Amino acid sequence: MGGLPKKKFERGSATNYITRNRARKKLMLSLPDFRRLCILKGIYPHEPKHKKKVNKGSTAPRTFYLLKDIRFLLHEPIVSKFREYKIFVRKLKRAYGKTEWSDVERLKDNKPTYKLDHIVKERYPTFIDALRDIDDALCMCFLFSTFARTGKCHVQTIQLCRRLTVEWMNYVVASRALRKVSSFVTWIQYDFHPTDVDYRVMATFTELYTTLLGFVNFRLYHSLNLVYPPKLDSKAESELKEEHEDDYAMNSESYLEKLSALSSSLARVVSTDEEEEAKLDEFPAEGEDMEQMEAIEKEQKQLETQKKLFEGLKFFLNREVPRESLAFTIRCFGGRVSWDKSVCIGSTYDMTDETITHQIVDRPNVDKQYINRDYIQPQWVYDCVNAKILLPVEDYFLGVTLPPHLSPFVEEKEGDYVPPEKLKIMALQRGEKPGADEEDEEDEDEEEEEDNDDDEEEAEEENLKQMEEQRSQGKSLQVKVTPGKVKADNPARLKEEEMAEEKRLAIMMMKKKEKYLYDKIMFGKKRKIREANKLAAKRKAHDDAEKGKKKKARK
Amino acid sequence: MAAARRLKRVAASQPGFLTLKPSSEPADLVGSRRKRVNKNKKKNWNKFSDIADVEEFLEDVRHQERTTGGLLSEKSDDTLFFVDLGQSEKPEQKAEEPDEGKKRKGKASRPLRIDLILQHDSHIPPPKDVLAYQQPNAKKLRRIAQKAEQLAARGVVPRRQKRLLNRRPIDRTVNKAVTEANNNPDRGYYNLWGQESKDSADPWYLQQTGKKLVKRPEKLNEKPSVLPAVEVIAPGGSYNPDFFSHQVLLQEAHNVEVKKKKQEDRLEKQLAVNKEDRATEETALREVVEGLIEEEDDEVGAPNSKEDDEAAVAAIAVTEKKTERQRKKEKAEKIKEQQRLSSRRQNAQQQQLFQLRSIKTSIKQQEQKTKKKQVQRKAQQEAQKAQPRRLGKLKFQTPDLDIQLSDELAGSLRQLKPEGSILKDRFKSLQKRNLIEPRERAK
Repeated sequence: MGGLPKKKFERGSATNYITRNRARKKLMLSLPDFRRLCILKGIYPHEPKHKKKVNKGSTAPRTFYLLKDIRFLLHEPIVSKFREYKIFVRKLKRAYGKTEWSDVERLKDNKPTYKLDHIVKERYPTFIDALRDIDDALCMCFLFSTFARTGKCHVQTIQLCRRLTVEWMNYVVASRALRKVSSFVTWIQYDFHPTDVDYRVMATFTELYTTLLGFVNFRLYHSLNLVYPPKLDSKAESELKEEHEDDYAMNSESYLEKLSALSSSLARVVSTDEEEEAKLDEFPAEGEDMEQMEAIEKEQKQLETQKKLFEGLKFFLNREVPRESLAFTIRCFGGRVSWDKSVCIGSTYDMTDETITHQIVDRPNVDKQYINRDYIQPQWVYDCVNAKILLPVEDYFLGVTLPPHLSPFVEEKEGDYVPPEKLKIMALQRGEKPGADEEDEEDEDEEEEEDNDDDEEEAEEENLKQMEEQRSQGKSLQVKVTPGKVKADNPARLKEEEMAEEKRLAIMMMKKKEKYLYDKIMFGKKRKIREANKLAAKRKAHDDAEKGKKKKARK
Repeated sequence: MAAARRLKRVAASQPGFLTLKPSSEPADLVGSRRKRVNKNKKKNWNKFSDIADVEEFLEDVRHQERTTGGLLSEKSDDTLFFVDLGQSEKPEQKAEEPDEGKKRKGKASRPLRIDLILQHDSHIPPPKDVLAYQQPNAKKLRRIAQKAEQLAARGVVPRRQKRLLNRRPIDRTVNKAVTEANNNPDRGYYNLWGQESKDSADPWYLQQTGKKLVKRPEKLNEKPSVLPAVEVIAPGGSYNPDFFSHQVLLQEAHNVEVKKKKQEDRLEKQLAVNKEDRATEETALREVVEGLIEEEDDEVGAPNSKEDDEAAVAAIAVTEKKTERQRKKEKAEKIKEQQRLSSRRQNAQQQQLFQLRSIKTSIKQQEQKTKKKQVQRKAQQEAQKAQPRRLGKLKFQTPDLDIQLSDELAGSLRQLKPEGSILKDRFKSLQKRNLIEPRERAK
């Protein structure tokens, strides 16, 4: 009997959540500090399933955090640093107001700072965990490194981001880890800053990510046996010595700028003269895994060849092409690259060098032409990387309409529409040569084919008409039974037919329900195929129209 | 000094000497009857000799020295008197101009008259302030300083000085706060994942002293959204796209715009007013005039109201009491009704045996329905996971697709005009993945 009456909102989900303001008061922090703390520790607001219960009957939109998360936050040592910083700001303001400059100096010298190392260790206990989040970190660091150093964000952060991104790019170059490249419409802009973005939030994320990226870089460099912080190879450094180094950057920054040029190799801890090819471990062949092993070996060999795609080639970048991304891509595949001296520090050879094999230009025409080098547009580099082979250079000459830049991240499944350019590339990869195409030959071939087809059709039709006439006239057809010829059985065809037969039998034996499902699936597949055919037909029509136009223009 | 004093006394005792102060009555000069005293004893020299006149004179002399700087009688005529010559004539002035120039210079070199007047010219210097020269412990300090000098001459360095010299000089050039900050561009990194945890001490000790770090709850390691951090743009977004992929992307953008337009149209429709409902002059006039014209309306209204009254009266007819017969009838009817219903129920139950098949089918149908609904609900839940959650006051606004129209497509990288901004894209991605709540700039 008796007992206390049950009150609403005292147990269950209502007690598991806490509103943002309550949480803030519990931690005794201001709102921006609270936000910063949550971002650093990785604590995010949750949307409860039953909002009315949690919100004690009202449906007002509020931000909720889990109570256990906030209790966990209370143990964080940075919280006290935030409070100290608040007091520091107050004292500094007072000293400024009273114009006590010695106090200002003293306070600034002892400004409270904090480090995020323990937070990174806590959030990413192993190296693999850190690598999972690395793409977000890279995005942010690259973004911040492009900001102008005006003072809206801390200049130190921008410098640190630049250093980390340069280190990362050097690592990728040294390890030849680049696989796919794509260039999209959203290019990096250097001078346009939208105003409705909260910079403090982005800066907090960047703070955490710079710490993470720094540690990851350290680990990656050591896994490759390179010195960290990165130093240029002593050989390469002597090559890079120039007279007017002051023209490019301040002394403190000139080393970073040389590194960021990506044109020379990095120093190693234990110097090796040549890179030894890593041999694949050979596991004892087990029956079932043989195929897998072979497939893996094949892949490995392909990778090895792909890594040396541009080896032996010497590139020169003209002034108007995007230098950093092209230099990065070329270097990642073993090529050598240089540019004009006035563009950036770190150019190893000049435009007048005779051994240059390719020059990347983006203008309609070039003044001086050297004979033994190809003048191509920058898309060639990207397309070669994506196709994993060296594409023919003729499609990318100056002034030529470029073939479309296909995205390497799209994987077409069977039945989907595959653009003809991709088919061409796949053919090239397999080693077949696409028929030596000059447009006249193509036209002629097509015309001949069309004529042939027409003739054949007409002949057949005539035959049939004759036979019908004869039948109608009641005459017996002059068809004789001749001894049959033995057709040579093609074993591959036989096998195919057998499989088709089996399939048909299986379909017949299915239950009604299963058949119904099967029909549905096939309908869906066939629809895809039909659509692909439609698109192909459209493309053909488009091409024909273009050819027609060209013919008219010629006439 | 004593000689000077004696001279002054002698001068004062001359009968013709005039003092500054007017002397007292001349009666004093005449000798009066005095008592005869023995002035030979030393005791009586001070007691009975009258030195008032001398004292007076001396006082006067001192006064002169104090105020005017010396005896007036000894001063020259120039200092006391000057001859007033009146205004000098002009030609003399002109003749004196070159001289005056020199005089002016001389005057400039000479101090001003007012300064001269204000100088204190008494012969008596102002008294020294003894306290200003007094230093407590002066002797002691002097002695200590001397000793220290001697020691230094010998080369012995006292302990305190030794410690001061040993103290390292403070590095004032580098700011400590800057080097320790988290975003210092030259900060060093170490192998974070390679070190073993410090298991040196007892875990209880570590916990009690607050040195042990609290374990992070497992739930926090789950990502708040299944979306990937970096989403690859569709192939139509390439700077030199394939025709069909570009068309596909354009189609998507078109759909988004169509939806927006539909919403706007719907809003407009809801707000639209029928043209016929609008007030014309006629209707406005009728409204204003309503109720004022009374002639026809009354006659039409009156007969109607009478009829209504009668009907109302009929409805309030008096209900008579029920008779017993009626009650019995009602009971019997009730019982019959109940019996009928129960027999029907029994019959239905018995017949259910023959309806088994249809019952089975209906059950199966219901089960299928519930299963279908379950599957649908699960699919919806999965779809919801990919959606951004509602985490605050503002709803998440999907960003516009970054595409360029067919005529904006550039043929080469150089002519490419970039679309959108990566900063905004990153910000929206953070919101989409439920890491922060959607925020807008405060207006």
